[in-house]
Amino acid sequence: MIQVASNCVGCGKCVATCPFGALSLVNRKAVPNSSCTMCGACVSVCPVKALSLPATGAANVKKDLSAYKGVWAFIEITDDGKTQKVRPVGFELLSKGRELADQLGEELCAVVIGDGVDKYFAELSSYGADKIYAVNGAAYHDYNTIAYANAMVTLIKKYNPSVVLFPSTYIGRDLSPRISSELFVGLTADCTGLSVADGLLIQTRPAFGGNIMADIKCPDYRPQMSTVRPNVFKKVVTRPGSMAQIVNEAIAVPAEAGKVRIISKHFDETSAQEKLDEAEVVIAGGRGMKDAAGFALLDDLAAELGGAVGASRAAIDLGLRPKEKQVGQSGVTVAAKLYVACGISGAVQHIVGMEHSDVIIAVNKDANAPIFNVCKYGFVGDARQLLPKVVDAVKKAKGK
Amino acid sequence: MAKNDLTTRNLMLDSLKQYAKNRISHEFLREHDAKNEIPLDILKEMYDHDVLGVHLLLIPEEYGGLGGQTTEIYRVCEQLARIDLGIATGVFATFLGSDPINVGGTPEQKAKWFQKIAHENKLVAYGATEADAGSDLVSLRTRADRVEKDGKIVGYKITGSKMWISNGGVADIYTVLALAPGGPSWFIVEKGTPGFTQDAHEDKHGIRLSNTAGLAFDEVYVPAENLIGLEEGKGFLQAQAVFGYTRLMVAAFGLGAGEEAVETALIYAQQRIQAGGPLAQKQGFMLKLITPHYVRFEAARAYIDWTAKQLEVNNHGLATEGAIAKLYATESGNKAAEDSIQAMGGFGYTKEFAVEKIKRDVKITCIYEGTSEVLEMTIFRGRWQEHLKTRGQYYIKQAEEFEAIHAQHPDVGADSVALGLRALARVLEDCRAQKLTRHQYITFMLGDLISEAEVAAVFARQCAEGKVTEGSRFDLNTLKVMSRVNARLSAFKIATEGMKLILGVGAASAQDLSAGVNLVGIEEKMTGLINDEDLVSAKLRDTFKA
Amino acid sequence: MNIIVCIKQVPDSTQVKVDPKTGTLIRAGVPSILNPYDHYALEKALAIKAKTGAKVTVVSMGPNQAVAVLRLALALGADEGVLLSDRAFAGSDTWATSYALATTIRKVGQYDLILCGQMAIDGDTAQTGPGIAFHLGIPQITFCDSVDSDGQHAVVKKLIEGGHQIMQADLPVLITMTMPVDYVAKYPSFMAAHKAQDKQIYVWSAADINADLHKVGLEGSPTRVARIFPPAARAKGEMISGSAEEMAAKFVEILKKESFVK
Repeated sequence: MIQVASNCVGCGKCVATCPFGALSLVNRKAVPNSSCTMCGACVSVCPVKALSLPATGAANVKKDLSAYKGVWAFIEITDDGKTQKVRPVGFELLSKGRELADQLGEELCAVVIGDGVDKYFAELSSYGADKIYAVNGAAYHDYNTIAYANAMVTLIKKYNPSVVLFPSTYIGRDLSPRISSELFVGLTADCTGLSVADGLLIQTRPAFGGNIMADIKCPDYRPQMSTVRPNVFKKVVTRPGSMAQIVNEAIAVPAEAGKVRIISKHFDETSAQEKLDEAEVVIAGGRGMKDAAGFALLDDLAAELGGAVGASRAAIDLGLRPKEKQVGQSGVTVAAKLYVACGISGAVQHIVGMEHSDVIIAVNKDANAPIFNVCKYGFVGDARQLLPKVVDAVKKAKGK
Repeated sequence: MAKNDLTTRNLMLDSLKQYAKNRISHEFLREHDAKNEIPLDILKEMYDHDVLGVHLLLIPEEYGGLGGQTTEIYRVCEQLARIDLGIATGVFATFLGSDPINVGGTPEQKAKWFQKIAHENKLVAYGATEADAGSDLVSLRTRADRVEKDGKIVGYKITGSKMWISNGGVADIYTVLALAPGGPSWFIVEKGTPGFTQDAHEDKHGIRLSNTAGLAFDEVYVPAENLIGLEEGKGFLQAQAVFGYTRLMVAAFGLGAGEEAVETALIYAQQRIQAGGPLAQKQGFMLKLITPHYVRFEAARAYIDWTAKQLEVNNHGLATEGAIAKLYATESGNKAAEDSIQAMGGFGYTKEFAVEKIKRDVKITCIYEGTSEVLEMTIFRGRWQEHLKTRGQYYIKQAEEFEAIHAQHPDVGADSVALGLRALARVLEDCRAQKLTRHQYITFMLGDLISEAEVAAVFARQCAEGKVTEGSRFDLNTLKVMSRVNARLSAFKIATEGMKLILGVGAASAQDLSAGVNLVGIEEKMTGLINDEDLVSAKLRDTFKA
Repeated sequence: MNIIVCIKQVPDSTQVKVDPKTGTLIRAGVPSILNPYDHYALEKALAIKAKTGAKVTVVSMGPNQAVAVLRLALALGADEGVLLSDRAFAGSDTWATSYALATTIRKVGQYDLILCGQMAIDGDTAQTGPGIAFHLGIPQITFCDSVDSDGQHAVVKKLIEGGHQIMQADLPVLITMTMPVDYVAKYPSFMAAHKAQDKQIYVWSAADINADLHKVGLEGSPTRVARIFPPAARAKGEMISGSAEEMAAKFVEILKKESFVK
């Protein structure tokens, strides 16, 4: 449990902060109970520094942290069954990585593993990479956990980066924990913000499922590793026309990689318009849409505006849409040109998944709903009544 | 196999909740309520061994059942009532209908009938009530005439009728109380026996998802082996033996239905914006319509649970405790449902929300298995004997116990409990001295005051012992606050109502009586009452969020 | 064949509410449930058991109350349960949790197939499954919505970007499961719940599994929460109210202005 020193003044700030309700005031002192998970959230709010986590032995502290230098971004190659290309999230990681590398005064490196990866070098360079580590070969044509993890671990051990960023995708989420486990380093999932303070990577993410953000750091371990969902960071071409230094590494695929085999691949016939993460217009619904009839109204508007329909976690839990249509922290992050949020109150977990959209319109009955704090236009009313009229009006405007 | 532990009970309740969530929607209930129709498919599915097998709870293990303990049976009843009191009644009727076999059956009878009920998932009905014989079974009219062959009794011919029998029109097996030459006796009658017919089912105020019908017997022949216990004249004893236990189940019905109504209203009020803020944040709204009801629910839960645990040790009996539990919980549930409609205003009055149906449904719990008035009489009779036997010391002794508890645990309201018990002792003693119990009204009201005092006492004692009642959503500290509130209000009610009764019919000095029940002492304990109620309101808002 | 399913007790997310003032979670009275992904993984393991007669062992790490989810698993048909419970594990992040669970699985001994939910709904990290696989030195396949095994191989349908692939793995292998949209969790009958009381649940401490204490709890957890804070306040957008007709007209006007309707 968290430790409370005798200088506790009983101000109660920690009690209000504890995400687990594990602290209470007894005789004007903070007292933790067995719900304490030692998350440390209370430590930073204590005005008199009376709270601390139990000291841990020095056994795990890495010898010389200053030997670790460089910000790396793992570049994912996607495959649609016909062609392979860099998944755009890789450029987003490089763009953010460039900022971090500049602040740290270290190099930015792209790591790309695959078959025929040299064709990506020019574009990766334009997003700011100083160096590209390439592991190339037919054996790497398809993603394989053991082969890729082995390649990454080999490179990290050889070059000692201080930061490694992964996309939070099926591949990134499969690969990164395997690597962090082997290297005994921290891994923070689904970061919505990354920055540098005192030479440390500060990883920001919504925490504890609530409307609260947490900064996570890994002071004693290197590299510091994070995953980031697509569309969270903007991609910015910072070095048009330049070419990074290319470091080709030949790494053999371990025999164990053959224990897992792909039998067949199947790709869904989904148009870009239907794909949430690529859609330019997203019409999303929450608990306030109530039922299937409510969601049908969203389909109508999406059809008129040429967009995809998404849902909040609450609506997913109600079974109104499949899980892959969830917008938010534990679903898809979208960066649409137009995002219409209907009957969504706007928990942080949802907002981090859509706030990067250009124009956000919100419709909600509750004028105090947090969704109105992120929208450009807010309509106070029942979306179930408003939407049919909007659809009619759009049809009329389009001259139908 | 071991008795079910708490984890197992919670697993069963989770399964029941999930089943209801997946299969029984509000729309489904509303539709059947409107059509006045029992959802037989649902009942059969709940009996399906691979789905729930809920009826196995009442069947002893040796006959392929679960041999459910009183605690899990009452908790299942509470959960059933939260789902729908009509469906709950359908399940309960099987429980109740099987009880005469459980209590009075021979091993062979138990083996035969329980295995049938367990494995063939039979619905059972309990046939006791007649037009002139409700809770008072003495005027039983249905006859069972012996059929003899070669000087040996080979069977009985049953003639007569029963009314308001739950599952009456849909059961497969009926346990029927009839007057045999040797006295009232229970018989097992199967559906389809010649001469046995069921009336059309009643158009009721509530529990419209339960089938209620009259039964008619026209010289219905049953073999002698269907006489429960193979001995005539045991019927009343067998019926009485289970009252403590069956009334506890109905008590849990009142509790469950009431909780569902209040929680629905509270969740609504968390979202309903009035005058700039949610209704649930308004003190007047909470203290008038929500908070006091939940305090009584937790008191009722503590009492029901305590009685259940006693019954598990003593097996059967505890008729007075069963009556107290039922009276207190069902009247609390009924009043809470009424206020839940009020709390939701116009919405509460429509069928869009469940509270309107709950209000109609829950009323039955104050009627069946002994009306509130019959229970008040039972409670009064039981404790009056104790009062006389101990020369007025019965509640004084208990008051002393609570004074001692208060010294150790000053935060559970044991001081007010003690004051209430002393006031009750004084009121009973005045009634005795002035022979006031010849007034029937006084006996009813004394029954009510006794139940107030005893429930408050058990709740406070449980809190002092650090027990969080099974199934409660609150922590010990919240329960303590609730107990303080409850103890104060019940002491006040005992003192003021008691004074009203004695002054109303007897001759006494108001001043002496006021001093005798220590009204000022009780009132002094009111300090901090509203603050405690506000604390409870805050906890309720945290627990039942929209 | 021996199957191990890793399960976790989590607060029912549909009932966890946020305090509007502090932004922290209100956990009062929130019931605990079996993590739904784990529930699905367990059902898949039991389906393989029904076909092959495999032995299914469920493993969980958590406080003593977590015994409830093990009992649920046993009632649904698992054969044995192990609860890893020790104050030494408090403060564990995903690294330390993976290490502790892998060490527990080693002590259980025989395993051919390990199934995990893809993630716990109270953490959403999806890191523990791959972590366990690494610590055991076995391959993993993550985000699968079906799994089958004949005792020699496992065949899965794994979700990938834009579709899925069918994969085959030699045993032993660790599979993490996602769940289909229309998944409705199974719950045990009353009798099954009752009978589960007779099945064995072992409760092990850090010492029982010979855990390296430098690798569990806070000390085995590289990540630290440095600060928690409410999300940045933003300026409210342009607010529109009125009758549905007025608002619909304004809505279309905005769509035109932002050129989504030409």
